[in-house]
Amino acid sequence: MLPQINLLMPDQNQNGPISYNMAPYSGPWTKVEAGHLLRRTVFGPTNQQMLTAVSDGMATTVTNLLQIPVVAEPITFHPDEAVTAFGNSWVNDVFPSSPTDAATTATARNLSLAVWLMKGSNEGQSDISQKMCMFWHNHFAVTAVADPRATYDYFALIRQHALGNFRQFVKDMTINPAMLLFLNGNTNTLFSPNENFARELLELYTVGKGPQIGPGDYTNYKEEDVAAGAKILTGYLVDGIGSDTLTDVSAVYTDILHDPSTKTLSSHFGGATVSNNMGNEYSDYIDIIFQQQAVAEYISRKLYRYFVNYDLTTDVETNVIPIMAATMIANNYDILPVMSELLSSEHFYDISVRGALIKSPVDMTFSMFNSTESIPGFDIVSDAEMYLLVYQYITLMGQEFAAPPSVAGWPAYYQTPAYSQLWVNSALLKARFQLTDFMTYLTGIPGGGNNWELNTLAFLDNLSFPSDAPSVIDDIADLFTPKGMSATQKLILKAVLTNGLPDFEWTIQYNDYQANLGNTTFSDPVKQRVLLVLQQVFHMPEFQTI
Amino acid sequence: MKRRDFVKSLALVSAGTPVLLNEMKVQSIGKQLFSVSKSNEDRILVIIRMNGGNDGLNTVIPRDQYANLTIQRNNVLIPETDVLELTTDVGLHPKMGGMKSLYDSGTLGIIQNVGYPEQNRSHFRSMDIWTSGLIDSQADTGWLGRYFDGEYPGYPSGYPSTACPDPFAISLGYEVSVTCQGLMANFSHAVNDPFDVYNLSSGGAINDGTYYGYHMEYLTTLINQANAYGQQVNAAANAGTGSLASLYDLTNPLAQQLRYVAQMIDGGLQTNVYILNVNGFDTHDAQVSATSTQDGAHADLLQRISDAVASFQADIEQMNYQERVAGMTFSEFGRQIASNASLGTDHGDAAPMFLFGSCLNTNIMGANPTIDSTIVNQAGLPMEYDFRDIYASVLKDWFGVPTAEIQSFFEHTVQYYPVMGACNVGIEEEELTVLKALVYPNPANTNAKIRFVAENEWVKVDVFDLQHRTVLNVFDGNLSQGEHNIPMETAELPAGEYIVQIKKESGLVHSKLVKVK
Repeated sequence: MLPQINLLMPDQNQNGPISYNMAPYSGPWTKVEAGHLLRRTVFGPTNQQMLTAVSDGMATTVTNLLQIPVVAEPITFHPDEAVTAFGNSWVNDVFPSSPTDAATTATARNLSLAVWLMKGSNEGQSDISQKMCMFWHNHFAVTAVADPRATYDYFALIRQHALGNFRQFVKDMTINPAMLLFLNGNTNTLFSPNENFARELLELYTVGKGPQIGPGDYTNYKEEDVAAGAKILTGYLVDGIGSDTLTDVSAVYTDILHDPSTKTLSSHFGGATVSNNMGNEYSDYIDIIFQQQAVAEYISRKLYRYFVNYDLTTDVETNVIPIMAATMIANNYDILPVMSELLSSEHFYDISVRGALIKSPVDMTFSMFNSTESIPGFDIVSDAEMYLLVYQYITLMGQEFAAPPSVAGWPAYYQTPAYSQLWVNSALLKARFQLTDFMTYLTGIPGGGNNWELNTLAFLDNLSFPSDAPSVIDDIADLFTPKGMSATQKLILKAVLTNGLPDFEWTIQYNDYQANLGNTTFSDPVKQRVLLVLQQVFHMPEFQTI
Repeated sequence: MKRRDFVKSLALVSAGTPVLLNEMKVQSIGKQLFSVSKSNEDRILVIIRMNGGNDGLNTVIPRDQYANLTIQRNNVLIPETDVLELTTDVGLHPKMGGMKSLYDSGTLGIIQNVGYPEQNRSHFRSMDIWTSGLIDSQADTGWLGRYFDGEYPGYPSGYPSTACPDPFAISLGYEVSVTCQGLMANFSHAVNDPFDVYNLSSGGAINDGTYYGYHMEYLTTLINQANAYGQQVNAAANAGTGSLASLYDLTNPLAQQLRYVAQMIDGGLQTNVYILNVNGFDTHDAQVSATSTQDGAHADLLQRISDAVASFQADIEQMNYQERVAGMTFSEFGRQIASNASLGTDHGDAAPMFLFGSCLNTNIMGANPTIDSTIVNQAGLPMEYDFRDIYASVLKDWFGVPTAEIQSFFEHTVQYYPVMGACNVGIEEEELTVLKALVYPNPANTNAKIRFVAENEWVKVDVFDLQHRTVLNVFDGNLSQGEHNIPMETAELPAGEYIVQIKKESGLVHSKLVKVK
């Protein structure tokens, strides 16, 4: 029999009043606050990053985080690639002419893309780019399409606009070849309108779907707008899929497939008409959509749910969302000022929202790797095989990169009332624990004859006072848990670290290892103790929250 | 006290005093109620979700509408001669041979044109509606979650327990089912592979009233539950040796999952609901192969479901559980009548549901949809049956939930249809008691009346105590057709529970009487 427990719904007032103030935060700036900011913006900060953020202060840290640096393109590692040389980028290379070779090359490129996505979440986590791109991948939830070059272009477009202008982002995404393929824009023609994209453009990408207030009327748009939108968007084809002559896929406007009639929108768009403007008509339509303030509010809510808390309370709706939306409109739908304001706000640092989200599988996985400073670091092939195993594990945990479960993205970001709780249940937790156990007391991740293990010794050496057992546990608690650990939990973990011996024994063991660097007789026991601590930490519910 | 609890306690009392019973009474009351309640509690519902919006018109095909179907959807239409004939008017997709054989043996039911008023064509909203069974209210709970909340208030606090060691519902795969979302937690337990148990451990945490504390408690409870239920599930799966692997094509993922269900059932798991999911029904394009409309993505999905269900039903029958296990399918909507040019179909309205099992009341319920000869843009099929009424009817027929309780799960006035009641010979009589014999006032003091309907026939009304001894002869004679209110002198009865029996040529009816001082 299990102990009886009482599940209380969150009562936000138990810890004093909540600040909904969107003005810049000016309270204490310690590892606690810096850790909160970093965990919400990067996958797995390191102890050193936290210390740097503390000394830099909030404003500088936020500015440094809000960057999207250029990253290297995915490269060939697989022997089935028939065109691009090993180690080179294939994103602007043709496919081989033979259908058999083209098929194996496509598979090789898809694998390379998966490796690239994993590597991007693992290396260089000094800014918000990966979490921001994940946000947009969930927003424009496209599943990988037939040509890996198009799938890559889709991710590249996300990266290009991740903190840029949302209106332009929607426009570019509308005629992005992967999106045209995914939501049937390429078969949406004058002769046979296909509503798939036109519906999601309104329901999921821009104004969002409000309550149904009449037949076919969803508050912000009507069924007739879906039909009109489909006509407006007619005429785009995708060229170059799997081509042995064209170096990339592209969207091609074809006038004879475009519906030239004048389209009339519903009262929600002021009955606006959209007259024939051929290949630019989609842009005119999106300009009209963006006149609705609902766009700014809708995207602000999504940002809030992803970066702050799933619960859009009345207070949040009253005090936070309107400020975010106003900032967005004042900045012509630029995302960066909105994110800057949000991540600097008093509300963002309020104690009530700390630990309010359960980590996504990607976040769980890379918080384990990145906070322990672990990258594979072998050769191209070994690294690729390891990243592919990680990709499969994350899929097993319920978050298949490049294959969201539906066009609305992952339910944990929209499904009331459970939201991020949907990331975990008995089976999914089991998969999480399997992976962390693999990294802590099993072999690590195999690939190319090598094993990727946690970078345990470097992790330990970079803590504040690695020879001091209580300090090691304090740092681990600060790094991996949003609200720390109880004294009892720390005592238990310290006992694991010291193998139940007095603290000074750990100090001796650590100093012996430092005095004999490279001698595994001294380093292995130290490494083993830290791994046993981490094994426990990764099984704690605290580690699963952010 | 719920009806089933009452029946249970009655059975308990009877079982302890068998020598006091005479043959007639054993048959008429104790045995009947005991056996019925037992089978009712043991019943299992298997739900298969066809995720994405199934194209009903290419699944259950109205054979009498072919001329107009050709106008509406020629590029996806199955050749008329290939359709599997169920009746002159109704056929199945050619890849559904498995389900056709079930139909031929009376174990497949089809309910035509199921939907709800003012169909919402968003996947997400419509799936919310189908899983919650609510249209106007916020869909915070699932239709089965509300049923379970009524049965097991306070869950998950205190569960699993000695009396309820097994999960109430199992969702195959890695995700719990929204249909089972209760007020505080989801009643379904996600099981990906019942043979692979894993010991999960948990840390210490307290719920300090914040979102964080809420998650801490949730995670801790979940980890503990995963442990306890995991062992139960694994033990049952290993004990379920009666299931025959040879009946299934285990490369078919749904067949593998249904085999797990069969093994868990045979191993004695007391789980009442199993939920399975098949993705891929959102067939906007390439629903059919360009060279043959009876092949392609949709055909493959239908074949997978049809084959797997047929295998499962055969397995259940060979293990002799057919009176305990029944199933149903659902999808968030059907698709539009006219196809699009991408060899696909767009989001529509009503679509058929399948039922399967040996206790079905009907093979095909509802008429074929009427297909028009002109294409109306965006037109879907109008609904004939409200899915919420089908859910309600399943709860009534299959789980014996009292109608007043069922009504409280839904916003609309529930309409019942006979769906899964064919094995309810005993239960139906018990239900009549509730419906057709009313003791009032109840509890009673010195006087009470019993109200019931007779049909110009001989009627005998007696009161028994829980040891089945006659304590009162109330009435013995002929009654005219219509409603009667027969007075009872209850002053002499000791306080306690009694059974009022109305014996008529048209049937035997029982009702409960509680006497208070």
